[in-house]
Formats: sequence, C-alpha cells, structure tokens
Amino acid sequence: MSPLLDVRDLRVEFATRHGTVTALDGVSLRLEPGETLGVVGESGCGKSITALAIMGLIPMPPGRIAGGSIRLDGEELIGAPERRLRQLRGRDIGMIFQEPMTSLNPVFRVGDQIAEAILLHQDVSRDEARTRALELLRTVGVPDPGQRIDAYPHELSGGLRQRVMIAIAISCQPRLLIADEPTTALDVTVQAQIFDLIRDIQDRLGVAVILITHDMGAIAEMADRVAVMYAGRVVEEGPADAILDSPAHPYTRGLIGCIPAIDPALAALDRLPPLAEIPGVVPPLHLLGQGCAFADRCIEAVDICRKVAPPLTGRGHAVACHLHAAAAASEES
Amino acid sequence: MNELSRSAPERAASPAAEAWRMFRRNRPAMLGTAIFLTMLGVVIYGSLFGGDPFEIVWAPQTPPGEDGFVFGTDYLGRNLATGLLVGGAPTMAVGAAAAVLSIFIGVTIGALAGYYGGWVDNLLMRITEFFQVLPALLFAMVLVTLFSPSLVTIATAIGVVMWPQTARLTRAEFLKIRELEYVTAARAIGAGNGRIMWRVILPNALPPLIVSATLTVGVAILFEAGLSFLGLGDPNTMSWGMMIGANREYILDAWWPVTFPGLAIFLTVFSVSLIGDGLNDAFNPKLRER
Amino acid sequence: MNTAAYIARRLFYGLVLMFFVVVLNFVLIRLAPGDPAEVIAGEMGGITQEMLADIRATYGLDKPIATQLAIYLGQIARGDLGMSFFFDQPVAKLIGTRIGATILLVLAAQLVSILIGVVMGVFAARKPNGVVSALVAVFSTLGYALPVFWTGIMLIIVFASWLPIFPVEGMRSARFEGGSFAYVLDVLHHLVLPAVTLAIIFLAQYARLARASMIEVLGADYIRTARAKGVPERRVVFHHALRNAVLPILTVAGLQFGNLISGALLVETVFNWPGMGTLAFDSILRRDYPTVMGILIIGAAMVVVANILTDLGYRLADPRIRTEGGRR
Repeated sequence: MSPLLDVRDLRVEFATRHGTVTALDGVSLRLEPGETLGVVGESGCGKSITALAIMGLIPMPPGRIAGGSIRLDGEELIGAPERRLRQLRGRDIGMIFQEPMTSLNPVFRVGDQIAEAILLHQDVSRDEARTRALELLRTVGVPDPGQRIDAYPHELSGGLRQRVMIAIAISCQPRLLIADEPTTALDVTVQAQIFDLIRDIQDRLGVAVILITHDMGAIAEMADRVAVMYAGRVVEEGPADAILDSPAHPYTRGLIGCIPAIDPALAALDRLPPLAEIPGVVPPLHLLGQGCAFADRCIEAVDICRKVAPPLTGRGHAVACHLHAAAAASEES
Repeated sequence: MNELSRSAPERAASPAAEAWRMFRRNRPAMLGTAIFLTMLGVVIYGSLFGGDPFEIVWAPQTPPGEDGFVFGTDYLGRNLATGLLVGGAPTMAVGAAAAVLSIFIGVTIGALAGYYGGWVDNLLMRITEFFQVLPALLFAMVLVTLFSPSLVTIATAIGVVMWPQTARLTRAEFLKIRELEYVTAARAIGAGNGRIMWRVILPNALPPLIVSATLTVGVAILFEAGLSFLGLGDPNTMSWGMMIGANREYILDAWWPVTFPGLAIFLTVFSVSLIGDGLNDAFNPKLRER
Repeated sequence: MNTAAYIARRLFYGLVLMFFVVVLNFVLIRLAPGDPAEVIAGEMGGITQEMLADIRATYGLDKPIATQLAIYLGQIARGDLGMSFFFDQPVAKLIGTRIGATILLVLAAQLVSILIGVVMGVFAARKPNGVVSALVAVFSTLGYALPVFWTGIMLIIVFASWLPIFPVEGMRSARFEGGSFAYVLDVLHHLVLPAVTLAIIFLAQYARLARASMIEVLGADYIRTARAKGVPERRVVFHHALRNAVLPILTVAGLQFGNLISGALLVETVFNWPGMGTLAFDSILRRDYPTVMGILIIGAAMVVVANILTDLGYRLADPRIRTEGGRR
C-alpha cells in the first residue's frame, strides 16, 4: 500500500538577523490513509513548520525549502505550482490551528467562512453551500446550528470556534487533516470534547490525521504512530504503543515522564502541569552546532553526543541516539 | 545592530544620550536639523539686517536673476529677497509661541484627565471633543478677526485650536504610566499628587510628547502661514504667507513671487518633520524595523 | 445596544455639542472689544442709529445677559443665524447657497485620498521594504510639510497655466451651454485640481496608516486560515485582509473632517470655489460677524454629522462593536 503522505528528508531554512537558520533538518514522515500520526515536541522544535510546509504555507521569504520531498498520494508538492497547491489546500488537506480565538476572520459570519471553503473547491450554488455549512455545523456538534450559522466569531466560545474551524477543515472531505495543537488554548473539559470530535470525524470520513501536540496524554489517546521532534529533527519514530511503553530516546523518556497523572482532582484543579521536568530549554536554532542537539540537556550524554549528530536508525521503531544504537548493538552481539 | 551594541562600551548610557546617539546616526534627521538651522540662521540674519521688505525698489515682476535680483520682484516691485529674509521671523516666532501654548494647554489637560480619571477625565475629554468639533482654522480666523490681528492674538488663536491632539496623547501616556510600579512606589513613600504627576510620570511620558511637540511646531507654522495668506496676519509685518497671499492674483503673469515664499515655508516645515521622524526613531528603535 | 438607540444617543450628544458651540459664539461676541450691537452690525460703515436700535431689539441687548443668551439660542434653534448686513441677506440663506459646493469638495477630496491612500498602503504592505513603501514614506513627509494653499497655486501654475488642462478657478464655466450631463462633467472638470490639492495632505496619512494596518492584519491567524482553505492570494488580500485593515482608517477618516473643512477653507480661496470657505473669507474681510459666526456653527455641525456617520459606518463594518454597543 502506498502511503498517503510521504515526507522525505525535508529541509527548511529561515533567513534571520543572525543569518540562515535551519528550522527543519532532514525530517521524514509517512502517513497511511486513515492513520493518525502524532507529532510531539516542545515549542520551537519544528512541529508547526512541518505542518506549514506540507500545506505549502511557509512564508517565503524569509523561509525557504532547501531540500527534500513531500508527496501526497505520490504527487510531489515541493515546487508544484501555486494554483495546484491552492486546489489541494482545503480540499485534500484540511488544517486546524492552535488559536481558535484568532483563527476566524472577525468581520465575517461563521457560516460564510465555512461556505467559502466549499464554494472554492466545489461547483455548487451559494444556497447549496449554505445548506452544507449548516450540516457541517451539526456534524461538528455546534448546538442550535440554524442560529449559529449567522453568528460572528466573537459571539461564540473558544470551544465552539474550534468546532467551526474543524467544520471548515473537513468541509470538502479531505484525505488529510492536520491539527496543530488544536486544544492547547481550550479548557480541559473542552479539550476532551474536541479530541472526541476529531476521532469521531476520523471514523466517519476515514481521514488521516496529523496531530501536532506537546501533550503526551493526547498522543496516548489518539495516535497510531508517533514522531518525536527535537530542534528540527525527528529523534524517535514508531508505533504509539511501542514508544509510550518503551521510549528509547532520552528526550522521549523525559516527555513521557511529563504525562500528568490521570488524576481527576488534579485535572479539575487547574490546567495540565507544564512540561518542565526536562532541565534546560530547547537551544535557539542559530546556536546549534555539531552533535546531538539534545546533548546539553541530556543527563546520559557522552563525548560522542557532542561531536556527531546521531542518525535515525531502526525499522518500525526508529531512534536517533548514540546510546540507543550502542545498546542495540551490544544486545545483538 | 549586533555590531553596534558590541562596539558600545559596557557602561549603560542614559536613555537621552542613547536617543541622541541614534538621532545622530539618522541621515534624514541630520539633514532636517541642518536645513532647520540654516533657515533659522537666515531668519535671524534677516530680522537684524534684512532691510524694509515693503520698500518698492525696482520694476514690478522682475524675473529672478535679472537686474541683480536673485529672487526677482513682486507685483509692486518689492524685492523678494528682502521679503524672504524678513518674512520668516513672524512665521517662526508665531509658530513656536503657538506650539508652546498648545503644548502647555494640551499637556496640562491631558495629564489631569489621565492621572485623576473618573469624572475629571470625563469632563476634560468632553471639552477636548468639543474643541475637536470646531474646524480649527475657521475658529482661529474668527478669533483673529474679533480681537484684531497682531502677533500675540495670532499665536494665541493658533495655540488655542491646536491643543486637543496633545491632550489626547498626554492622557493616553498618563493612563499607561500611572499603573506602573514606580508610580506606586512613589506613592508609597508619600509623594503627593502634584509631585507624582510632574516629577514622576511626566518625565517618563516625555519621549512621545517631544516627538508630538516637534510636529506641533510644524503644524503651527503652517497655520500661521495660512492665516497670513488669507490676509489675517499682522498687516504691518511681512511674512512668507502674506507674500503668497499678496501675489496670488498675479500667478498667471509671474510664478516666482508665490513660489519662493512657499518653498521657504515648505523647507522649514519639512525640516521640522524630518527632525520629528528622527526623534521618533531614536526613542523607539524597535519601530524602525517595521 | 441596538442601532436605533445608539443613533438616538449619538444625536443627543451631537446636539449637546452644538449647544456649547452656540454658547461659545455668544460668549465670543461679548468678549470682543466694543458694543455687541456694533460687532453684530459689522464694521461696514454707514450703520445708522435705527439699524443699531433694531439689532438691540432683535437680540434683546438691553435685557439681562441670561435673557440675551436665551434669545440667541432660540433664534439658532429656529434656524435663524441672523442677518448679514453686508450681503443684506439672512445668513442661513447665504450659507445654504454655498454649503453644497463645500460638501462636494470635501467629499471628493476624502474619497480620492482614502481610495488612493488605501491602494498605495495595500501595495506597500505587500512589500514592506519595497519601492511603494519608500514612496509612502516620502509622500507622508511631503503631505505634512506642504502648505495646502501653496500646493494649490503650484498646481494652477502647472496644470492650468503652463499646461492648460484644467480651469484656473471657479466651479463651472462662465458661459455654459449644454445638457445636464455635460454640466456634471463641467463641474467635475473644475473639481479636479481643488480636490487633488486638498487630498494630497490626507492621502499620505491614509497610505501610511493603511500600510501599517495591512502589515498587521496580513500577519493575523485568520489570514493563515484563509490561505489554508485555498483562498486565492488576491482574495486573501482584498477580501479577508482589507475588510479588517480599513477599520482603523475609518476611525481616522472620521477624525479628519474638522481638518478637511479647515483645509477646504484655504483651497476654496485659492481656486475661487464658491463654497463656505470663500464666503468665510469674504465676510471676514468685511467684518461681517453674523456670517462668520454662522459659518462656524454650520462648520461645527458638519463635523458633528460626519462623526455620527463615520461611527455608524464603523458599526456596520465591525460586527464586534455592534454587539458590545460601546463607543470606541
């Protein structure tokens, strides 16, 4: 079976005041139809850049795709004409963003914003598009859709706005849905509802989902496979169960250590605790030198980690870590 | 930027010194300063040694460069060079005086409104809105005609119509700054309202106010020129605006008597505007990157 | 708050403002040196004692000051702006014949400056370091520094004298013959130079504002959403972004009306445009105070009305204001 999405060795650079910065350094991802791929990592690791690159929405300049390939159903997207990309956006690939409060245009009615996506990609009348928008609002669980279709974004809560965003993203029954931190800005109770909705839609439409998040709990709940990103690279990739049960990269272990206890009292108290258990922060990309980008924060780092960047090795469950490679080698011998 | 901060010594420069350094590096601003100082020099020289601009010296409408008249003569045969030398003084003096008056009114009203808030703010802002409803030039015309034109009445009239913008800006700054911690700290050590307003908040509100004050000077100069052009200036004092107004019936016969005084006004206000932009950049280095 | 209640409140507030404008007028006449009756009559010479007595009776000048104010307010409320002794006509009627020309000039200038300014701003925003951006920066300095009356004269010298494309002055040709369509064209032909002169001051401001506003809006999340939907770039800019970017321009446009009327005063004088500005100029030279005061009142009223209209426009353009119901 050929993959729905095949990203290979993607490199993205940004021109900044400090010179050229490599935001994505050889990222490879595969996604089968109907599958859910979780992409995890702290902010600044390149998750959102990956999503924007797939959408063809990297601002250029200052951004630049320096190499690699993105294939959707075998069709190369890098270098494809803008006209073709525009067709794919919204029709074959839908996207949900992190900030429902600001992601909808404040001066247009939500119904029109949904209908616009339909009218752009399908040969239907305005009335028909409106009817479809109404159905979509019902599908995404907006109560009283007949009223809400004429509402302006500011008249809706954050959760409802995110539902509208989802309605826009799925309006043309895309094959791929990219959800970039879809619940980060929402209340805990609403977060669960949105995840339920995404899963429900996936079951109904058979759409493949890339779920970008820094929340390992969400990954555990949603993802079939997981790619862990750090400083513009994929450092571990494999089936969700395997990674959650036996994380191989020290960074992944750190992230999983950060899963909040499933403690309803804690959840009700406040937001999820922050991911502060790994000491240090992601280094600024322009300061990355040779070696493993995680080395400075890694308690297990040895000499080689600071000199040579480890490649991503292993089939099925792949890891980019010298220590893991050494351990695996000694096991085999 | 990087190099700049590296080459700077470690000691922290005062904000004013820092701004001055930024300003000096700003070519348009330095050009503006040069033009302004030149104009100022010409005006001062002119008012001391310029001679009588009303004196008829040669044939009317002698083109510039002919018969030794660099700028030519006007419709009555008065030397335009003399007019240009002498006519800047009232424009600049009235502009400066009006700007000072309008800044004084505007800062006072804005500061009181922003600091006290509540009904004081409400009342003062309604007054400000009231003055914004009156078309400024028309109101100034009325004042000047009612109280007969002299440099003092003209400066007063212009000052009285220009302050609302300064008031709004000052109020906004005071609203912002009065919530800051050092204001609370000043209050905690027992500083009175007056002291907090004028000694604590005002100095910190100065950068945007200085920029706005600079631009106010430019607008005041244009106001004075406009009134003089309409014939509402002091009839006994030659000014650039008056030269344009006096010669405007004859523009189809002679372009120079209106062109040169206008250029003089334009250059003066233009230089003020360059200085204002330069100050703005110097006080807000971040904005420049936009 | 619904729109009707909002309009009612704005109208009431506008009336309060106008009340104070009238009171200010009253105070100014009393503050002016000399006998109020003579001030009202104007320094036209040849005023007879009967005329002065007449004025004293009409304005109740022998009565207490409060009564005088009440009489004055009553007259204004009835639309009686007094009598122009120089023109020998009621001031209201004089202004009535002139106000149309001024409104035409002001609206034309406003339209030209907003349209061109916004278009320039949009193109500048697409390339914040490009040529158009540099032009906008240069223009905004020029627009600030050019004396409007001088710009007008320069335009006359170039475009009416050296290159006789446009008429030198006035609003219509002296011996005009032709149908109503040709008449409209003739007026528009006369309108070009004055409107452009007046527009130059404001054009640069709008361009600068539109540029800043567009740059900000183009970076907004909802623009990314539009692109992610597959909206063509042109529609992203002119539909999704512009609708949001014009909101601050609308606010400023409303605040500019007072300045526009001030500018129109000078421009009308330069071009002999038969509006309130030339009337104000003529009556000030003749010390015809009732006319001058009437023009001040009507000028202020125009600003008040323009502000109400822009506020309403803003409510239409920004759905957020409509439901919150607050003022800006």
